[in-house]
Amino acid sequence: MSAVLLSLAFLGIGLVVGFLAQRSRMCFVAGLRDWILVRDAELLTGLFAFLATVWLMTSVLSAAGLLHQGIPEYPHGAGAAAGGQTGVLLRNMNGLRLSSLVNRFFFVTLAGGFLVGVFSVVAGGCVMRQHVLCAQGDRNALFYLAGFYGAVVVYYALLSRFFGWVYA
Amino acid sequence: MKPWIFGVAAGCIFVLADALLPISPPSAYAFCLSCHVRDLVNTALNAAVRSRFQVTEVAGRALMLTSPGVLIGAFIAARMHGEARPRKADRPLLLAVLGFLVMTIGILIFGCPTRIVLRAGYGEIYGIVALAGMGVGIAGATLLMKLRFRAGK
Repeated sequence: MSAVLLSLAFLGIGLVVGFLAQRSRMCFVAGLRDWILVRDAELLTGLFAFLATVWLMTSVLSAAGLLHQGIPEYPHGAGAAAGGQTGVLLRNMNGLRLSSLVNRFFFVTLAGGFLVGVFSVVAGGCVMRQHVLCAQGDRNALFYLAGFYGAVVVYYALLSRFFGWVYA
Repeated sequence: MKPWIFGVAAGCIFVLADALLPISPPSAYAFCLSCHVRDLVNTALNAAVRSRFQVTEVAGRALMLTSPGVLIGAFIAARMHGEARPRKADRPLLLAVLGFLVMTIGILIFGCPTRIVLRAGYGEIYGIVALAGMGVGIAGATLLMKLRFRAGK
């Protein structure tokens, strides 16, 4: 597939998902938050519907041999090692013991997930929700996205050298 | 639109895209706002200043335009239904710092909240671990918020 078509495919996925996310006010963080705060489960049903759909679809498609799975995150460099482990699937352990995956990256992932949860609650929504809010004209979300995009440059120019231990 | 419709539709789109389009490697990569933004920014930087910042394999074959796509799609939806209205930034610095932190962690653990849930749905071990951590983080922060709210009253 040509680069232009594949790029347009990503743009298209973004367009459709952005449209649907705006209409449904979907947020991957606010579901649990709203349920704890006011016992409102509406957004949480979105999260579970998403999880169940993905689980079902990947089960069917991988049984049919249509899904490429278990592929490393990066082709080379930092993270390639841990990236290789990120492909391990529950339904396809190939005799691998779960305990062999409890390494440094395991705990970084656990702590990282925890922090993403905390920061997203403070920010008022997951990254996708911040995109939608920004598109609706919310200036707070615009600053969120500025920090979000800016972090890439800062991380690779300055911070990445301090995080090699994560994947060691 | 009910959120569960979004869940089913987005789940179908992400998995079918992964099955039908040459997206992998890496796997479960049809949608991620952290990783795709990282790929997009690094591809641009690598072209502009000849840096060699890390990108995934698929980013060498395509521009990862997911994040601009979401912005445009949500903008169209908001415009069509008269929900686009400017809101002043009352805490810009805090939000910028939070965005910075979420992206930094996203780069480290390979995912924004959406892809964490997507990877967990694939049954990928570290995705499930990240989702568990995220659940505890959300619950903890929310309960703290609730406590502070009660104390305030």
